[in-house]
Amino acid sequence: MELQFFEILPQTGPMFAAALYTIFVGIIACGVGIAVGTVLLMMRNSRLWVMRNFAGLYGSFIRGTPVLVQILVFYYALAPLIGLNIGPLTAGIMAVGFNSGAYVAEILRGGLSRIPPGQWEAAKALGLSRHKTWFRVILPQVYYSVIPLLVNEFTMVIKITPLLSTITVIELTRASQMLYTETFRPVEVLLIAAVIYFVICFSISQYGEFLQRRSQKYRL
Amino acid sequence: MSFDYMAIWSNRDLLIQGLLTTLLIAGVAIPIGIIIGIVVCMLRISKNRLLRWPAMAYIEIIRNIPLLILLFMMFYALPFFGIRLSGLTIGFICLSIYGGAYFAEVFRGGVEAVSKGQTDAAKALGLKYGFYMRRVIFPQLYSYVFPPATNIALTLIKETSLLSMVTVAELTYAAHDINGRTFTPVETFATIALIYWGISILFLKLTAGLQSRIEVGHISQPLAIR
Repeated sequence: MELQFFEILPQTGPMFAAALYTIFVGIIACGVGIAVGTVLLMMRNSRLWVMRNFAGLYGSFIRGTPVLVQILVFYYALAPLIGLNIGPLTAGIMAVGFNSGAYVAEILRGGLSRIPPGQWEAAKALGLSRHKTWFRVILPQVYYSVIPLLVNEFTMVIKITPLLSTITVIELTRASQMLYTETFRPVEVLLIAAVIYFVICFSISQYGEFLQRRSQKYRL
Repeated sequence: MSFDYMAIWSNRDLLIQGLLTTLLIAGVAIPIGIIIGIVVCMLRISKNRLLRWPAMAYIEIIRNIPLLILLFMMFYALPFFGIRLSGLTIGFICLSIYGGAYFAEVFRGGVEAVSKGQTDAAKALGLKYGFYMRRVIFPQLYSYVFPPATNIALTLIKETSLLSMVTVAELTYAAHDINGRTFTPVETFATIALIYWGISILFLKLTAGLQSRIEVGHISQPLAIR
């Protein structure tokens, strides 16, 4: 058989739109991930035993189960069980975000370990509350120091989004599936999808590496 | 809301069969992935550009394309070229190739971490490249490579769940099957989530036991891939 890229190419408009949609989903999921990760980080460093254990258990569960299963559990089991009536897009973004959160928490923990303990003592000496110390002193520094790693986390999130096609979110993978069932040209369509994913992920991960190199150059 | 646990119990054969398939795929794909990783890593760190560049391209391409797309490409593209493989075979091949790229990066990181300063020492002693790799770098590699390689192996175990989308009857597929017949999404998906969690915890316990036997010096643990 012969590949017929030129016949497929004019019909790939929906795929490029879906690629933008994928990026949009990725950005929101990453935002959710950072929020969840921050909460987990604070729980891990909480004075309450229950909080610390919950954060540990959460991390273990997220890292111990496949993302696909998490998405299915979230969409088919958890959301109906707690009475949430949410569409596939919201459920998907939440599932990916909650997954990403566990990994973001690890990244933030790495950043936190680089903050000298003197900062906590200084904040205490100035009479700042624990709450204020977290949000005004510690977290801004943590975020700043882990920006390159968060950029890499974003590519991870982008690479999870194809799984959302299973719960009928029309992102890039779903759009290409729809296109090749229509045109019977899976090879060409999937190759184009692969190239789009590669361009998105490669450029972001290269940017992350650039940030990492720069931060190593200027710090210390 | 009531739960129908009988739906799970009466279909336990399907789940067990799925679990065995999952373990089989992971058990085959991880060793092959490690072998591919070692070969690609050797190519990647070689001084010959003709060997290094293809290895770099392989690693970057695989690491920047989602596994699902790779699977679909193999599943739908190979029949177009007249090659017919079962979903299971495609799963083996895809996961091995996918794991190979990540393992190669882990091994390269290990070699780079070990060889800091040792390259100069080996040069000063007049060691040949092959001898230096075999007798100096390789024995030290283990403790650097083991923790991240464990992470990637665990990731591969988890990624077997994607094979359910190319008709491999592994654990996730079994869950879809049971859910389709009994319509008990909460019970089935929660059950397989717990099974996967159990596998992961068991796997981490096993590897932690192995690692404590070989632990040497400081180890930095990079984050897992997914």
